[in-house]
Amino acid sequence: MILEMKNLTKSFKGSNSKSLVLEHINFNVNRRDFLCVVGPSGCGKSTLLKLIACFDKFDSGSILLNNKVVTAPQLNRIMVFQEFDQLFPWKTIVENIAFPIRVNNISMSKKESYEIAKKYISMVNLNNYENYYPHELSGGMKQRVAIARALAINPQILLMDEPFGSLDAQTRTTLQEMLIEIWEQTNITIIFVTHDIHEAILLSNKILVMDKNPGRVKKIIQNMLPRPRNPMQPGFSDIYYEVYNLL
Amino acid sequence: MIMIAKDKFNKLFINKIFIRIFWMAIFMLIWEMIYLSHSFSPLILPSLGTILKSMYSNLLSGELIKETLYSLNLIFKGLGIGIIISITLASLSFVSKLFEGLVETLTAIAHPLPGIALLPLIILWLGATPHAIVFIIIHSVVWPLALNTYSGFKSIPKVYRQIGENYELSILQIIYHILIPASLPYFLTGLKIGWARAWRALISAEMIFGATGENGGLGWFIFKRRVFMDTPGIFAGLIVIVLIGILVENLVIVNLEKLTIRKWGMSI
Repeated sequence: MILEMKNLTKSFKGSNSKSLVLEHINFNVNRRDFLCVVGPSGCGKSTLLKLIACFDKFDSGSILLNNKVVTAPQLNRIMVFQEFDQLFPWKTIVENIAFPIRVNNISMSKKESYEIAKKYISMVNLNNYENYYPHELSGGMKQRVAIARALAINPQILLMDEPFGSLDAQTRTTLQEMLIEIWEQTNITIIFVTHDIHEAILLSNKILVMDKNPGRVKKIIQNMLPRPRNPMQPGFSDIYYEVYNLL
Repeated sequence: MIMIAKDKFNKLFINKIFIRIFWMAIFMLIWEMIYLSHSFSPLILPSLGTILKSMYSNLLSGELIKETLYSLNLIFKGLGIGIIISITLASLSFVSKLFEGLVETLTAIAHPLPGIALLPLIILWLGATPHAIVFIIIHSVVWPLALNTYSGFKSIPKVYRQIGENYELSILQIIYHILIPASLPYFLTGLKIGWARAWRALISAEMIFGATGENGGLGWFIFKRRVFMDTPGIFAGLIVIVLIGILVENLVIVNLEKLTIRKWGMSI
């Protein structure tokens, strides 16, 4: 068990009322899990991810990583956002990836950090693009760079907040396949928020279905379909309807 | 054939530099015609030839160059100090709500105050020294620049800050590595306003100040020419003032933008 959520409750204070966003969230994530979180919009799935990253404070409960309470953002849990502008436009691709490595490792030379960065650039199939600036890349390529930047720091958990949400269908499929490949090759744990049931079934080994008003964990479904997966394979539609009926 | 000729004609006129030179030539032509008509005394409207001659002899004697360098030295000193103060003020505002209030209050009081209005007070405080002029320049630069830099800091996408925190950057590292480069478009806008204000304030201050020691700057140069009724000399000084203004705004700042925010695909 790498991550434990214990009785997490979170509310937002409005101008005259308090609205409960998440209530009594309890679940565990195992090492090397690929957990997809699905739920209706406004159920607090993105908020949940932000709490795990410690970008935001919660009212009560606790989050344990390797049996230790977490209170601040750390390198062991890196967030990949949906926004295309999560790269720094004033840095080239290789600089974007090497920058967090070098900031946290002052003794490392620029060259060494670039070597590491290049390794991850080729992992996301962006060879020859290292000296481009982000505005010269397509949305899909930018998301690849963001994933490479996160992986290059060698985190234990990758937090992904609908990273493929703004991509066209074809690019999304390519990136989903790439992400599965990376997950299989490394021993990373992924928590992936999406509103797309298809995507959740294609990627995950567990699907966490959420309820809304307030956000609660409705059910965690085991997804043991053999890989490579496709929507026509036996068992796919069973899981699809199970999730669909819960939403 | 006519179509092609018309096309060529249009293309020539789309060229901005050509249009500018074209109108300047027209302007100079009208000027010289008025001079040749003898409607005004040459003391009021000298010929272009005498203006150029005066410029040439003043350049040759080194006086114009010395005064220009003196003025530029003062303004760059003021700009440099102004930039450091502005970034510090903007950073403090970003870190603490209390400082934000202080900077907002200071800006509200000082921003509408023309630099030159402070001159009598500054002379009392610092004496009639070059320090006083540098102080006026700093005052002209700091407020627009701090204001713009701070609104640049505030306009930065929320994810940038979260990324900074996620990669365990300290608050100083976030300011240095993320906030400052990310707010560069705003900073450069502030710098443009600051430069324009400082350049105007400098010339006015120099005129009022006169020479403090050997030099007095470009402002004093043109003011002195009036005393000697040296109208061509006044125009020669004015041309240099205009040229430096154009050079800094169109070459220095535009190139700075090309090297940074335009290359990076950033804009406000």
